[in-house]
Amino acid sequence: MRIHKYPRLALFAGLLALPCAAFLPAPAAEAAPPIVIGGTISETGPLAVDADYQIKGVKLAVADANAAGGWLGRKLELKLYDDKSSAGVADRLYERLITDDKVDLLIGPYSSGVTTGIAPLINKYQMATMEPGASDPSIYRAGNRWNIQGTASSLQYLDQLLPAAKDRGAKTVALLGLESAFTLACYHAREAQAKELGMKIVYQTTYSLPQPDFSSIALAVKNAKPDVVIACTYYPDAVGITRSLHQQGFAPKFLGETVGPVEAPFTKAVGPLANRLVTNTGWWSNFKTPDNQGFIERYKAMFHQDPDYHAATGYAAIQVLGAAVKATNSLDQAKIRDWLLSHTAETIQGTFKVNENGLSLGYVQDLLQIQDGVLKLVYPAANAEATLQFPYTGS
Amino acid sequence: MLALQILVNGLLLGGLYVLIAQSLNLIFGVMGVVNLAHGAFIVVAGLFTYWFASSTGINPLAALPFVFIVMALVGAGLQPLLVEPLMKMGRSKAELLSLMVTFGLDYVLVELALQVWGSSFVSVPYLQSSWKFAGLDFSQALVVSGVFAALVSALLYWWLNRTDSGKSLLAASQSETGAICCGIDVKRVRMLAFALGVALAAAAGVLVIIVEALAPQTADDLTLLAFVIIALGGLGSYVGVAVAALLLGVAQSVTGYFVGGNAEYVLPYVLLILVMVALPGRFRRA
Repeated sequence: MRIHKYPRLALFAGLLALPCAAFLPAPAAEAAPPIVIGGTISETGPLAVDADYQIKGVKLAVADANAAGGWLGRKLELKLYDDKSSAGVADRLYERLITDDKVDLLIGPYSSGVTTGIAPLINKYQMATMEPGASDPSIYRAGNRWNIQGTASSLQYLDQLLPAAKDRGAKTVALLGLESAFTLACYHAREAQAKELGMKIVYQTTYSLPQPDFSSIALAVKNAKPDVVIACTYYPDAVGITRSLHQQGFAPKFLGETVGPVEAPFTKAVGPLANRLVTNTGWWSNFKTPDNQGFIERYKAMFHQDPDYHAATGYAAIQVLGAAVKATNSLDQAKIRDWLLSHTAETIQGTFKVNENGLSLGYVQDLLQIQDGVLKLVYPAANAEATLQFPYTGS
Repeated sequence: MLALQILVNGLLLGGLYVLIAQSLNLIFGVMGVVNLAHGAFIVVAGLFTYWFASSTGINPLAALPFVFIVMALVGAGLQPLLVEPLMKMGRSKAELLSLMVTFGLDYVLVELALQVWGSSFVSVPYLQSSWKFAGLDFSQALVVSGVFAALVSALLYWWLNRTDSGKSLLAASQSETGAICCGIDVKRVRMLAFALGVALAAAAGVLVIIVEALAPQTADDLTLLAFVIIALGGLGSYVGVAVAALLLGVAQSVTGYFVGGNAEYVLPYVLLILVMVALPGRFRRA
């Protein structure tokens, strides 16, 4: 072995190296480890279209935060898994994020259904979690206060449509609702609202996916002759219902669908049938919120598409989480949770504010209408880009 | 008039079901191969059609001949690689093993589709209106798919019962030894049947994407639906499957109208359980 053969030479070299080392630049201070934000997203499954926007908003917010120096002097890093649009899969993955990956912070998944599946786990491990994709109000209740709502409640989805339609002479309503946590909350809220407004519900049903064809439901709607059809949907059923109503030869005066029409693929999928269809949004490009225009420009530059409100809720959730971390100067989950439950924060989608159980009080859902292939904000009047056009033509 | 419209809607939906199920019936019912990649072939062809129509602006049905030929070649290539080696292990073992092999193939195809087209639901805005006749609405997309399904069923029936190659396939499915003794090239016949089954599934995909929004992850739903229909109709029976598909469509249309969407959704599976309990012999190959 060389070291035994030349021990004196090695010792001499070592002694020579010591003074030389003094002239070398000092080693850089060890970089602080990144703050890891974990979460799941529905890369596959029926929720993938909307979820894709949400996670892009999250990614942009993390990139923006890193460009501004990160939080607490540390860079941010995302750790994401595909939950396949399944609450069961998400539940296992969040357990893995908390116990195996030991992430510092969590961001919620997309959709109320998936979030409902993970909410008990979040509570069990006491991780303060912003939920950008869960509008179902039943998630945010006493005893479940580690889940903080980062979007408008589903009780608010299309809540401005029935009063607007009533003002224009509509008297009867048909309600359709997909069997999922978010859509059923919306469905029952609109049912109660129609009764409060004195509008007669002439047909209502719920359905499940996959549903290859909506013609029987559309025929039943046609036979009931409602002035307003409200469908609490996700993307695939929004496409199916719009087409089937047209194929059964029926166009109500007002057709409103919740999730789906706001996405660009919807207008491509149904073409002219989208014209004058009403939907809702928790964010819009003309919102006078801090850095809203900057968000739009950076989102377009990064993803080569226009953002929608799912992207904005994802972005805003990271904004709020960042505000909590900075205000508490810590990653302590209890401190962050308490701050979130008791403070407001300005985001691109408006003022974040929740009640003592984490239910959103600050965000809104405004009405959009597709007019000649372009989404335009039509309600409330103060922010409107165009007036609500009716009747829905269905062609 | 309302009752007639419900019936028309049901028959048109049933036509779509015939299209989805008949090609699986060929592979499963006659060859005894449990093709769990059936829905994946439909979805891949449907997504290709979406890409073709949206990027060229050409009528999506123009993709049909191309898709049919290419997928027939794909089927002809896959069968000797994945399915034929299993046939040497005997019929009962081959059924179980083909289930596993095509389960893997399904995953590969769905993952490929995800990589190529992403996970978004897409649909082609074509034939979205209805034809009006005698005061009834006939969904254009469903009429076209129903007519195509009827043609496919008739041609399959004719091929299997009136041509030498079709009779060879039936003979091989009933007794491989007997077929070999009669000079039938059993391997070639099986490859032909698998290629035809894959091509027909792909042709169904071209039409399904016009009717409903598809994404790669919907493949398994289509496979399950097709299995339910061929189980109800009798494995390997072309007339039985066509009748079962049409009756199922009508039953769902009636249920959807009078009871609601959830009842319509579960009806095929409730019927499957009832038939399995009441008529267990129905699940033997015809």
